[in-house]
Amino acid sequence: MSSVFTLPQAAKEEVLLKELSALVEHHRENCEPYERILAANGYQPATTVAGLPWLPVRLFKNLELKSIPDDQVYKVLTSSGTTGAEVSKIYLDKAAAAEQTRKLGATVQSVLGPKRLPMILVDTKAMLKDRKSFSARGAGVLGMSNFGRNHVWALDNEGHVDVDALKGFLDQYGDEPFLIFGFTYLVWLHLYEVAKDNGLDLSNGILIHSGGWKKLVDQAVSPEEFRKRLAGVGLTKVHNYYGMIEQIGTIFLEGPTGGSLYCPDFADVVVRDPVTWEELPPGKPGLLEVISTLPTSYPGHVLLTEDLGVVHGIDDGDWPGKRFSVLGRLPRAEARGCSDTYREAA
Amino acid sequence: MRYRFGAEGDLTAPSDDRLTVGDPRVIDFLAKLARKLLAPAVARRHPELGSLGFFLRPAELHRTVAHLQRDDALVFPRGNVFHIPPANVDTIFVYSWALSALAGNHNVVRISERSATAADTILTALNEVLADADPVIGRTQRMITYGRDDKVTAALSQWADLRVIWGGDSAVEAIRKHPLRPSARDLTFPDRTSWAAVSAAGWRAADPAKRREAVLGFTNDSYWFDQAACSSPRTVFLVGADTDDVRTEFIELLLQVVDQRGWEIDAAMAVEKRVNAYGLAATGAVSSMEFPANTVTAMSLVTVPDAPRRWIGAGAFPFAEVGSLLELVPAMNRQDQTFSHFGFGSDELRAFALELGGRGVDRIVPFGSALTFGSIWDGFDLPREFTRLTTLVE
Repeated sequence: MSSVFTLPQAAKEEVLLKELSALVEHHRENCEPYERILAANGYQPATTVAGLPWLPVRLFKNLELKSIPDDQVYKVLTSSGTTGAEVSKIYLDKAAAAEQTRKLGATVQSVLGPKRLPMILVDTKAMLKDRKSFSARGAGVLGMSNFGRNHVWALDNEGHVDVDALKGFLDQYGDEPFLIFGFTYLVWLHLYEVAKDNGLDLSNGILIHSGGWKKLVDQAVSPEEFRKRLAGVGLTKVHNYYGMIEQIGTIFLEGPTGGSLYCPDFADVVVRDPVTWEELPPGKPGLLEVISTLPTSYPGHVLLTEDLGVVHGIDDGDWPGKRFSVLGRLPRAEARGCSDTYREAA
Repeated sequence: MRYRFGAEGDLTAPSDDRLTVGDPRVIDFLAKLARKLLAPAVARRHPELGSLGFFLRPAELHRTVAHLQRDDALVFPRGNVFHIPPANVDTIFVYSWALSALAGNHNVVRISERSATAADTILTALNEVLADADPVIGRTQRMITYGRDDKVTAALSQWADLRVIWGGDSAVEAIRKHPLRPSARDLTFPDRTSWAAVSAAGWRAADPAKRREAVLGFTNDSYWFDQAACSSPRTVFLVGADTDDVRTEFIELLLQVVDQRGWEIDAAMAVEKRVNAYGLAATGAVSSMEFPANTVTAMSLVTVPDAPRRWIGAGAFPFAEVGSLLELVPAMNRQDQTFSHFGFGSDELRAFALELGGRGVDRIVPFGSALTFGSIWDGFDLPREFTRLTTLVE
């Protein structure tokens, strides 16, 4: 099975430093706001991957950052953030759009194999019509649906589990490998419970899921518990992933044995100390920075997220490179000043 | 609805109680409250309550009352006053209420659900004093907490002769949806921006102790409410020529003082400041950024009009050099409130104020006094606003 999880850390950093340094120059030449930021920050060429200049990911909500002329814009991706009105705008040209699809495909094929598999989407078709939630959830589902065939929706238009559809799917395809995709809490709330209650055989399934743990933590379900319980209904090939629209096409995928996310060969993570801003060694939690060679049409190649994470180890897991976990979100800073009487209470 | 202070029951019912301007029962109450707030144990935990206690001491109250008297008219309470103070600047509600009570008004104060511990300490003190006070105080002075309830706001707006709205533009807009009676009016405290200025000549002439003291005052002005109080300075104007030396030493001292005072900036705030600083750099408003520590972010503004008027984080300081205070006048506008200064001569400051001509900047105060509340605020003489006048020609 061809894989994009092949490079040991030292070899990867050598490649990434070269490619990303070139990307920094590319964006400096083609994105004036980016060049101004670097100039104001006293930019010096980096000698390590961790030394590459990063942008706070929230800048894509406040500014129009692109490295292509207007007439080359092929697609504008938007994400509604957790804070409501603010929306990230990501500009892709044809080449970047094609490359992100190709790299996302190569990443999931590392665990699915080269052939398209029959696929269960743990979601509802109705969601695609909801223009508000479409951007985030719909784009995720649609993007991933390209990697399967003979799709079945696990939820009906009202959001209830369509047990008959699932049974029909399993009767037809359950004896060969098939793909299951969905948001983590939907998989937990709908697929797991229903499979348990109806004795559905998911043992040939390969689950790819994402969307954070917040809703499950509320129900006291840890990632370990999630894996254990799914194994109880025969689902043992389970891969969580972490990714964001600001680095579309790049996902950090959980390895076969679980517990850690891995970086594809064209991407990496750095965990930063939020006081010194230096890179932290494995075992020390800090702010996650995500690095990818895919963003060529906008300067999203080195982004400081507002997620907390920790690197567990380097070159010591299922696949080479860094393995890490996402620990949660940094709360948004708020002013405690005069102008706040009615911010919430209006 | 939770009653936090005063008699429970219908807040808008007609009342036969009458207070006078400078009513002795109110002065007695406020003086006792001042003593409680000035108690060492309280002042240690909440230094801001010390300044409040100082503001409420009897001599100060009598001075305020005397100042209200005039030869050409009789001075009376305005009537019913509805106060809507900000959520997180814990002491504003007391200043606003106390001056209005001193003027003899019947008051209802809406205390935010999100008010912090200093507010609770004040409410405890208020209720302790109330226990031994004249019952008229509890009947005429009420403080309540309620959530998203437009009905209460609407009813109190109909009851009020004066509605005092703190908390910025959005608060003013939200509250103004509720009509007042035709005879009533609003006293509003919208979004404001405040500035700081250092005279390079004055700085260079000052001895090291004076410079340090100035920075200490500036630090208190800036960091107390996460640099988000209306009066907290944002941009620092360096007035003079070749002021890099002043800026460098100022930032060095700032880092030291902030460290000693133990002000802390958490990771979320540090990210917030990066986002805002990078944003200013991206648009070309600032030409350089320094992040010597999470507590201090320094930026170089390209031009004075680019000085940001919105909040950009706790400990975020754009710097700009100008030749003289007068050069700043065109950039100041009605939104600008406090201008805190160090190292200027009184002639310079007076010329600046006269040139501004009231078109911007309501307070010009030395470093360390930006947050010190005064009964003249945002261009209003508050005690006068809380009273009405009757002319009598015999």
